[in-house]
Amino acid sequence: MAPEPNRAGNGASTSGTAKDEAAAKKKIESEDLSDEDLALKQQLELYVERVQDTDPGLQKVALESMRQEIRTSTSSMTSVPKPLKFLRPHYGTLKAYYETMVESELKKYLADILSVLALTMSAEGERESLKYRLLGSEGDIGSWGHEYVRNLAGEIAQEYAKRQSEEAPIDDLMELVKQIVAFHMKHNAEPEAVDLLMEVEDLDMLTEHVDKTNFKRTCLYLTSSARYLPGPDDMLVLDIAFSIYLKFEEFPNALQIALFMDNLLHVRTVFTSCHDVLRKKQFCYILARHGITFELDEEMVNDDEEREVLQDIINNSKLSEGYLTLARDIEVMEPKSPEDIYKAHLLDGRASAGASVDSARQNLAATFVNAFVNAGFGQDKLMTVASDSSSSGSSGNWLFKNKEHGKTSAAASLGMILLWDVDSGLAQLDKYFHSNDNHVIAGALLGVGIVNCSIKNDCDPAMALLGDFIDKEDSSTRIGAIMGLGIAYAGSQNEQLRYKLAPILSDPKASLDVIAFTAIALGLIYVGSCNEEVAQAIIFTLMDRSESELGEPLTRLLPLGLGLLYLGKQESVEATAEVSKTFNEKIRKYCDMTLLSCAYAGTGNVLKVQNLLGHCSQHLDKGEMHQGPAVLGIAMVAMAEELGVEMAIRSLEHLLQYGEQNIRRAVPLALGLLCISNPKVNVMDTLSRLSHDTDSEVAMAAVISLGLIGAGTNNARIAGMLRNLSSYYYKDTSLLFCVRIAQGLVHLGKGLLTLNPYHSDRVLLSPTALAGLITMLHACLDMKAIVLGKYHYVLYFLVLAMQPRMLLTVDEDLKPLSVPVRVGQAVDVVGQAGRPKTITGFQTHSTPVLLAAGDRAELATEKYLPISPILEGFVILKDNPDYREE
Amino acid sequence: MASIFTQLQSFRRNESHETDASVVADSFTSESLILTETIDVYPTNAPYKRKVSPANAEEFNHSSTSRKNLVIMIFLIVSVKWQKELFKDVEIDTSQPPYVFKCQLFDLTGVPPERQKIMVKGGLLKDDADWAKLGVKAGQKLMMMGTADEIMKSPEKGTVFVEDLPEEEQVAAVGHTAGLFNLGNTCYMNSTLQCLHSVPELKSALIDYSHSGRSNDVDQTSHMLTVATRDLFSELDKSVKAVAPMQFWMVLRKKYPQFGQLHNGVFMQQDAEECWTQILYTLSQSLRSPGSSENTDAVKALFGIELNSRIYCQESNEESSETESVYSLKCHISQEVNHLHEGLKHGLKSELEKASAALGRSAIYLKESRINALPRYLTVQFVRFFWKRESNQKAKILRKVDYPLELDVYDLCSDDLKKKLEAPRKFLRDEEGKKLGLKVNEKSSVPKENDVKMSDAEGSSNGGGEPSVAPMEEGEKETQMTGVYDLVAVLTHKGRSADSGHYVGWVKQENGKWIEFDDDNPKPRVQDDITRLSGGGDWHMAYIIMYKARVVSM
Repeated sequence: MAPEPNRAGNGASTSGTAKDEAAAKKKIESEDLSDEDLALKQQLELYVERVQDTDPGLQKVALESMRQEIRTSTSSMTSVPKPLKFLRPHYGTLKAYYETMVESELKKYLADILSVLALTMSAEGERESLKYRLLGSEGDIGSWGHEYVRNLAGEIAQEYAKRQSEEAPIDDLMELVKQIVAFHMKHNAEPEAVDLLMEVEDLDMLTEHVDKTNFKRTCLYLTSSARYLPGPDDMLVLDIAFSIYLKFEEFPNALQIALFMDNLLHVRTVFTSCHDVLRKKQFCYILARHGITFELDEEMVNDDEEREVLQDIINNSKLSEGYLTLARDIEVMEPKSPEDIYKAHLLDGRASAGASVDSARQNLAATFVNAFVNAGFGQDKLMTVASDSSSSGSSGNWLFKNKEHGKTSAAASLGMILLWDVDSGLAQLDKYFHSNDNHVIAGALLGVGIVNCSIKNDCDPAMALLGDFIDKEDSSTRIGAIMGLGIAYAGSQNEQLRYKLAPILSDPKASLDVIAFTAIALGLIYVGSCNEEVAQAIIFTLMDRSESELGEPLTRLLPLGLGLLYLGKQESVEATAEVSKTFNEKIRKYCDMTLLSCAYAGTGNVLKVQNLLGHCSQHLDKGEMHQGPAVLGIAMVAMAEELGVEMAIRSLEHLLQYGEQNIRRAVPLALGLLCISNPKVNVMDTLSRLSHDTDSEVAMAAVISLGLIGAGTNNARIAGMLRNLSSYYYKDTSLLFCVRIAQGLVHLGKGLLTLNPYHSDRVLLSPTALAGLITMLHACLDMKAIVLGKYHYVLYFLVLAMQPRMLLTVDEDLKPLSVPVRVGQAVDVVGQAGRPKTITGFQTHSTPVLLAAGDRAELATEKYLPISPILEGFVILKDNPDYREE
Repeated sequence: MASIFTQLQSFRRNESHETDASVVADSFTSESLILTETIDVYPTNAPYKRKVSPANAEEFNHSSTSRKNLVIMIFLIVSVKWQKELFKDVEIDTSQPPYVFKCQLFDLTGVPPERQKIMVKGGLLKDDADWAKLGVKAGQKLMMMGTADEIMKSPEKGTVFVEDLPEEEQVAAVGHTAGLFNLGNTCYMNSTLQCLHSVPELKSALIDYSHSGRSNDVDQTSHMLTVATRDLFSELDKSVKAVAPMQFWMVLRKKYPQFGQLHNGVFMQQDAEECWTQILYTLSQSLRSPGSSENTDAVKALFGIELNSRIYCQESNEESSETESVYSLKCHISQEVNHLHEGLKHGLKSELEKASAALGRSAIYLKESRINALPRYLTVQFVRFFWKRESNQKAKILRKVDYPLELDVYDLCSDDLKKKLEAPRKFLRDEEGKKLGLKVNEKSSVPKENDVKMSDAEGSSNGGGEPSVAPMEEGEKETQMTGVYDLVAVLTHKGRSADSGHYVGWVKQENGKWIEFDDDNPKPRVQDDITRLSGGGDWHMAYIIMYKARVVSM
C-alpha cells in the first residue's frame, strides 16, 4: 500500500536511472542547498516531528505552520514547490502516524495535508489525494492551489468510473465536484469544469455556474467537444449549450445549435423567446442559408406584416438580389463565354485546329460551362443573348447546336443562368414550353426546377407548371418534370408531391430511368425525414426489379433515393437497413453501403469509417459494385470535421495503392467531396496525378474532382492544370468533356459560388446541399453510362449545393450597407483563455466581400454591431449605441 | 383566333370601360359582396364578353338568365405578378370563366390568353375551371407566366455534328492524318512511312503510278511494294483511327527478307535508315516512267542530290573528279561536331584507299564533295550508329548535334551552283525584307538582276540535266531553288542501339503544326519540342531529318 518514497521520487524526476546514481545525485543536491533552503528543510523536519508529538496543542501548531508553508510557497509549472519537496521523505511517516490518530479535528487537518502531499507522492491509480481529501476538513478547495484541484478532478473521474461499476454511492464525490466546478468556472478553466462534469455525467450542474463572463467559452467548448462524443451524449451536451445560450439571450448561437441538432422545436423556441424583430430577421437569414423549409406561425411572430417579411427571407426570395449586388460590387457582371474559360490561346497551338464543324459533345460541354460560369447572373453569351436581331434569335440557335438529349441540358441551362430569379427565369423559359421537341420541353421543365432551387414561393410555380408533365407519355419530358420537382422542392417534405410522385414508382409502364429519377426526387424532397411511406414505396420498387434491371447503371439511383431519406439520421436507418438485407443479392450490398453512408453522412463517426474501410479492403472477383459507394461513404462520414478529413485523405491514398479498379475509380470522387470548393494542395497533386491514370475512368473521375475541389474558387493552379489536360486529352472526346465540365466548375459563378454544404463557421451541414452533391457523385460512379451517356443533366443536381460564398452586410431595412471588415484565416480558439484572436493574416476589405474556404470575417469598425456572431451570408448590422466619432 | 385578338385590341382601346369597372370595384372593400341588379353592372362588360366568345353566346345568355335570379356577384380583388411587374387590384369576376380573367390580363400584359399560365396554389388555372372550387382568396397574389415573344422555331437546316460525319470528313476536323499500328517492333517502318507520307509530291507520283501500271523493267515484288505504299498512303489520308499497315508489312518482308528476321519468334527491331533507303530505292525503280530518260524518275527528282567530288592523292598529286547522285547527306559525328553544318562538311570530306596508277600501289586519296544540284527534299542522316565489336552490336553515339529549323546549304555547293543560286537568294532576301517592312534598296538590286539573267541563260544552255536550277516540270517554270531549306520531318530514335529502342516520326503538317507520330498515337507538338530532339541524353534524338526546299518564283 505505502509506496517507497525513494522510488516514487525517482520516478518523478529521473526515471530509468540506477538507484545508487540517483542517491549520489541527491547527496550532491542536499549539499548544494542554500542556507535558506536548508533552514526551511530543517524547519519542516521539525514540524513533522512535532506533528507526531503527543501534545495536541503542539501538534496543532505544527500542522498550522506546515499548512502555512505549503500555501505560501509560490508554485511554478516546472518544479515541485520547495515545502512539498522537503516533505516528501516524510510522507510515509505522516501517513503511518495518521492511521494511529484518533478521530479529531487534528486528524482532519493532517488528512488535508496528506491530501496535498499525495499530489506528488501518491502512486498512479491509488487516488490517495482524493481519499485524504474526503477524510479531511472540507475547507476551501482553491486554497491549495490550482494544480491540486486539477489533480483532484482527475482522481474524481477515475473514482467515479470505479464506483459506477460497483454501483457504490457517489454523493460525497458529487459534493466535491460541485466545489471544483465552482472553482474552475470562477478561474477561467471552463474546459476543465466541462470535462469533469462530462466524466461524472452531470452537465446540468453547469447552468448554475455559468455567468456573462464565461458562458461563451463554456458553450464553445461544449459544442466543439460534442463532435467527438458518441450519441446520445452529444445531444445532451448540445442541449445544455442550447439552454445556456438561451439563458444569456445569445439567440443566433442557440439557433445554430438547434439547427445542428436538427431540432425544429428548438428553432421554434428560439423564435418564441426572442422579441426583437431585427434579430428574428437574422434568424431567418440563417434558416434560409441552411436551406430547410420552415413556416412561421403567429406564436413565433405576432404581426402579420412582419411575419410576411420574415417568411420572405426564409423563402430566399431576395437571394438573387443580394448575389447580384455582390457581383456588381466585384464587377463581374460581364457575361463570360466558354472560350473565356478554356483560354485556348494560352496553349501553344495544340488545341484541335479544325473547329469548322460543330461537335455535339463539345457543344454540350460548352453548354454546361456556360451554365456553371454564368450561374445566377441572368445573362450570358449563348442562351440569353437578346433575340431582337432576327426572328429565330441566337439563343434558339445555340439550343439547336445541341443534339437530341443535349437540348434538354441546353434548355435547362437557362434555368441555371437565371438561378434564384424566379420572375425573369420563368419568363425566359416560357418560350421553350411551346416547342414541339420533347427534349426542349424536358429542358424547360428542368429549368423551372433549377430556377426555383432553394426558393419558395406562395404561388408554387414549379408545382403548377411541372405537375401536369409527370404523367406524360414521353419519358424524357417526364424525367425533366420529375427532376425539376425534386430540385425545386428539395427538403420541403411536400405531401402533395408525394401523392403525385409515389405512384410512378409502382407504375408498370414507367421505364427504369423514370423510376430512378422519381426515387431521387422523392429522396431529395424528403431528405433526412425518415419518412416511412416513401421508404416503403422505394423498397417495393427495388424488390420488383428484375435481375437484368438491377444490372442497369441507373438502378444505382434507387438505393440512393432510399438513403437520402435517412441522410444524417444515424440509427434511424436500422429498420430499413434490415429490410434491405432481403433484396436481391445483386443490389443488397450496394444498398447496404449506400444506406450506411447516407445515414452517417456528416457525423464524423470513426467506427462507421472503419466499417466502410473494411468493405473496401476485400478483394472481390464477382464484379460486385458496392465498393464504389463505400468509398464515397468514407468521405461522406468523415467530411464532418477537419481532423477526420485529413485522416480520410490518408486512408484514401492507401486504397489507391492497394485497391481494386472499382475502388480506385471512386477514390478521386471521394477526395472531391472531402475538399469540395477547398483546393488543398496535397489533394490537388493527388488528383493531378490520377488525371493521367491509365484507366480512363479513374482519369475522368479525377478530372471532375479537380473541378469539384476548385469549384467556385477560380484557382489559377487548377485552371492551369485543366488547361494542360485539355490539350493532353484533345483527342479523347470523353475525357475532354470531363475537362471542360471541370473548367466550368472551377469558374462556377465566376468565382462567387461555393459547393461546400458546410456553412456558419463550418458547423452546419445543409442537408439538401449534401444530397445534391452525393446524387451527382453517385451518378459519376458510372461516368460512361450516365454523365457521358444521355443523362448528363444529373450534373444539374449540383445546383442544390450552390451558394454565394459572400458576406453581405445589410442595415436594419435590409438594404446593403458597406462597412470595412477584416477577412483572414480562421483560428481555432476552443479552450483558449481570454479573448484570443479569431483570425490570422487578415486583410481589410469593405463589404460585400468573398470568403474563401477556412476564412472568417470580423468587423473592422466599432460603428456597427452585427446581429449574428457568424459573419457569413447576409448579416444585419445595427448601430452601436456606444460608438463615438473620433 | 386572330379575329378575337383584333376584337380584344379594339376593346383595349376602349379603355373607359375598363376604368369604370375598376372604379366600381375599388369603391367596395375587396371582400364585400356586391348586391346589385345584374343589369347595372352588365352594360359595361357586356359588349366585351359577347365579343370574346361568340361561339359560347348561348351559354352566356343561359348563365346570365340564371344569375338574374340570384343577383349576387362576387368580385375578388387580387394582385397578379408577371415577371418583375406587379399588377395590384385586378378584379376577378367569379361569375365568369377564368378565360375572361385571362383576357383581362392580356389587356395588361399583352400576353395572348392561350400562352398565359396562371399559377393558383400549386396548379395552373384552366380556362374552364370553376372559381369557387379554386379557393382564390381576396388579396391573394397570383403569378402569371408567359411571354408575347415569338415562339422559337428550330432552324430549318439542322446543325451538322462531327460525330455524325463519315470518317473521311472527320479527318479534316482532326487536323492531321492517322497513326500506324505497331505490328511487333515495326516502329522503324511506321516512322519512316510517316515521314515519307508527308511529301505530297511523292503521294501524287504514287497516285499516277496506278495509271501507268506495271512496266516491264520493274520486278513483281517492287511493283507490289509500290502498290502497297500507294494504298497505305491513301488509307492514311482517309482514316481518323490508326491504320494497321499489314499489307505493306508483308510485301516489304517479301521484297527485303532482312526485315523478316526473327529473334525468339518475334520480328526484330531494324534500322530505320535501312528501311528508308530501301523503300526509296524501290520507289525510284518503279516510279520511273517507262522508256524515258532518267529525269522523269520522280524519286530522284525529289530526293536526289548530285555531288561533284574531287579525288586527290597527296602522294602522287593525282587528281580526278566524279559525279554521283545520292539520296541523303551524311552528318558524321565526331568530337568536333556540335552542329549539323559541321557534320555535313565533315561528311563531304572523306579519305579512301585506292589503287594509284601513278604509284602502282594503293594509296590514300582525299575525296572532297560539293553539291552540284539540290533536291526538293534534302534528307540528312546522322551517322549515330557504328559497329562496336566488343559488344557485338550497333552502338549509338549520343552526342548532341544541333540542327536548325532553317538550313542554308549554300557553302556546301559547288561554285557553279553557287552562282546559280545567287539571284534567287537575293530575291528571297528581298521578299523577306519586305515582309519585315524593310525598304529594299532598289539601286543595288538592279545590276544583280542582270547577273541573274546571265546565269539563267547559262543554266538553261546546260540542258535539263540539273534538277536544281532547271525547272522540275513544265508547269513550274518560275520556281527556283534558293539553297535554303525548312525542316519538315524528323525521324528519331530512342535507345542505346539501332536494333533496340524506339523509332518515332515527327512531321510538320501543312498548317504548320507538328505532330509526333508515335505508332498509332499521333500527338500534337510545338516547334520547341522539335529542336529538343538534337540528342545528348536518353530522350528521342534525330536520326534522319528531312528538309524541304524553299523556292522562289521569279
